[in-house]
Amino acid sequence: MNQANISNLVSKLNIYVRPKARRLKNPAGPEGRLLKLRKTVTALIKYERLELNFNRGEEARGYAERLISEALRHGPAHHETMKLADFWILEKQYVHKLFKVLVPRYENFTSSYTKMYNAPRLYPGMYYKKSVLELKGNVYPSLHQEYSQKRNLLHNVLLDEARKEFRLKKYDEIVDNFKQTRM
Amino acid sequence: MINWTSLRLQVPMLRRCLSTLTKSEARKKRNELFDSEAKRQRAAVGRIEKIEVKYSGPSDEITLVMNKHLSTPFDCAKHISEGVTKVAALAEVNGTPWDMHRPFNSECEIKFVTMASPESQVVNKAFWRSCSLMMGAVAETAFKDSISIHLHSFPIPNVRSGSFLHDISLGFEDWKPTVAELQSLSALYIKLSQKNLPIERLVVGESIALEMFQDNPYKSEQIPNIARHSEDSVTLYRIGDHIDVSKGPMIGNTGIIGRCTVASVHKLSTDEYGTLYRFQGVALPAGILLNHFAYGILEERARKLNNSVWVPSKIVEDSEDQIAAVAN
Repeated sequence: MNQANISNLVSKLNIYVRPKARRLKNPAGPEGRLLKLRKTVTALIKYERLELNFNRGEEARGYAERLISEALRHGPAHHETMKLADFWILEKQYVHKLFKVLVPRYENFTSSYTKMYNAPRLYPGMYYKKSVLELKGNVYPSLHQEYSQKRNLLHNVLLDEARKEFRLKKYDEIVDNFKQTRM
Repeated sequence: MINWTSLRLQVPMLRRCLSTLTKSEARKKRNELFDSEAKRQRAAVGRIEKIEVKYSGPSDEITLVMNKHLSTPFDCAKHISEGVTKVAALAEVNGTPWDMHRPFNSECEIKFVTMASPESQVVNKAFWRSCSLMMGAVAETAFKDSISIHLHSFPIPNVRSGSFLHDISLGFEDWKPTVAELQSLSALYIKLSQKNLPIERLVVGESIALEMFQDNPYKSEQIPNIARHSEDSVTLYRIGDHIDVSKGPMIGNTGIIGRCTVASVHKLSTDEYGTLYRFQGVALPAGILLNHFAYGILEERARKLNNSVWVPSKIVEDSEDQIAAVAN
């Protein structure tokens, strides 16, 4: 069987890709959906961090990842890649940014090029799930909240002790059972 | 509801603390004394000297010029940002824990510790101690003026024991609070914490402290003892209009306390002091979210009588012995 190795045809992305694309309801139909996503991908390359509704963010993320990985694989001299970049990037000066800034930045990356966070919902307000989508290696302060002192946090101390007490109780029960069976 | 007919006043208790002042009058007098002493200490500073305070935060280092014996870490936090004033629970001045509202004595380096970055257990202990202090404040206001309530003390905070404590004499023999009563105590507790009151600190002489707690037989017994061990001075803390004796340090603001429950009240019968009631509770800092199942486990544990002797290392050893016993 002379079947082509699929990984040579399509770049392997380091993110989860849903089996079915979201339709992202739009009056202009699938074309309108694509325009929406092109705007988001362009804005992502332009601003490097966006706050979006979760659906639109996650959908655009896949396209952005694919675009960057194609640019990494083939470079600016590749006709098809350039056409792809021309399609997805609405403001043409950012085509330069893609090949001259982002490609060198992500050359040695073994993980995904973008990162997504869940953002808080507006309350009270529209009940859409929100998210933050960003390009890795951007200049903004990190959104990741690190708890380096996790074990010292008050509720963790309390829960640890509660667990110890529970285990102790269980051991006592085991010992009692053991004694009774020995009798 | 409390069944009033079953509550009998203790005769020895009554005789011991005959006071001409009602509860609210005594509290008012205490506050007046506190205010006048604070004013006197403020006036005694005299000519204001400037000191340099070096602040090292997570992202930047700042040098602030502050007033000696007047400025506190809280004032420094106000210079840095509003966010810091809200979350900073405790300051570290030259490496020693320092209350947010305690004036600087000399030039120093300062750091702020929040409940989300506890480098050691010091800030957790301060939190637990403040919770005990607030429990006293809640209990004092929860009962009617006609009930002779006297705060006894609260032991050294032990977070691992699962609950914070306050021993209080209520003047009646047998009281078992109903669930509704505990809930209303918890509600009072939450209301107090949501007022975002600063926890003020004042060091006073023995005589003033004794005058303040004249109506409290336990405190007037304890104060000379405390003063003997700390150069004739007693450290007082004030939340709103509630004043109590404690060594400290405490957290800066009651708003740092988030979720809290008054879990149980246990009766303690002591030979020396008669009947005392041990108020127990559990609380979490604001900003720490815990699902109610996990919090329920903590509440359940806080309900048991806390003897405030909890040696986890010993228990681990014991439990290992038991495993060995089972394996044999």
